[in-house]
Amino acid sequence: MKFRVTENENISTVFLNGEIDMDIADNVREVIFPLIDAGKEVHLNLKDVQYMDSSGISVLVESNQRAKEKNTKVELKEVSQPVEKVLAMARKFL
Amino acid sequence: MSTEASDQTNLSEKKDFLVNSASLKDVRSFSREVFEKFKIKKDLREELVLAIAEAAQNIVKHAYKDYPDTQDRMAVRISCTDKELEISFFDKGKPVEKSKVKHRAIDDVKPGGLGTFFIQEIMDSIKFKEGDKPWINNLVLTKKL
Repeated sequence: MKFRVTENENISTVFLNGEIDMDIADNVREVIFPLIDAGKEVHLNLKDVQYMDSSGISVLVESNQRAKEKNTKVELKEVSQPVEKVLAMARKFL
Repeated sequence: MSTEASDQTNLSEKKDFLVNSASLKDVRSFSREVFEKFKIKKDLREELVLAIAEAAQNIVKHAYKDYPDTQDRMAVRISCTDKELEISFFDKGKPVEKSKVKHRAIDDVKPGGLGTFFIQEIMDSIKFKEGDKPWINNLVLTKKL
């Protein structure tokens, strides 16, 4: 997985790339969680994520919960079609 | 990857993988190759890949929960007729307790069980069987085409 982070005042935008599965999920947590813990508002850009499974959804849910605890927020910005399909299925469940 | 039959009405491909999370991308690659070869509809392929990857992930996470460094292998077999796709998983991990394989209650905000929910959403049937030796578990997923 590749990623880059841009900063604009208190907003960190994380651009993720590739496929997010169980093997990669901890790497994604290591990118996102420190930003949340630092009190940043985190925007996730998933337009270049070609595959995401339940482990990736878990990272999004955990990030959202963690952000609430830190009085900040995580927002999804651009989302690829494959990820949108998985999110739509997950919304029936979550 | 081995081909067990090759006529157009009964195709079957099988491959084994080391049981660990790093193998999941190989499971997906294998599945995509087979669906291309079997000429499965494109809009269905990635859903099926997700279901297969979630089932393989469950083997890594649950059947081998206490053995993260195992050198055991799991096998995935994809078979196809004109009317139905059958995907079988074989592993030698902890026997599946069927009563524990379910997605969690909807009011529980934790994401655990989501993978099983995805499999249920995508596939038409899910059956757990005892595996024939040397296998312990045999999960069979089917989807009408």
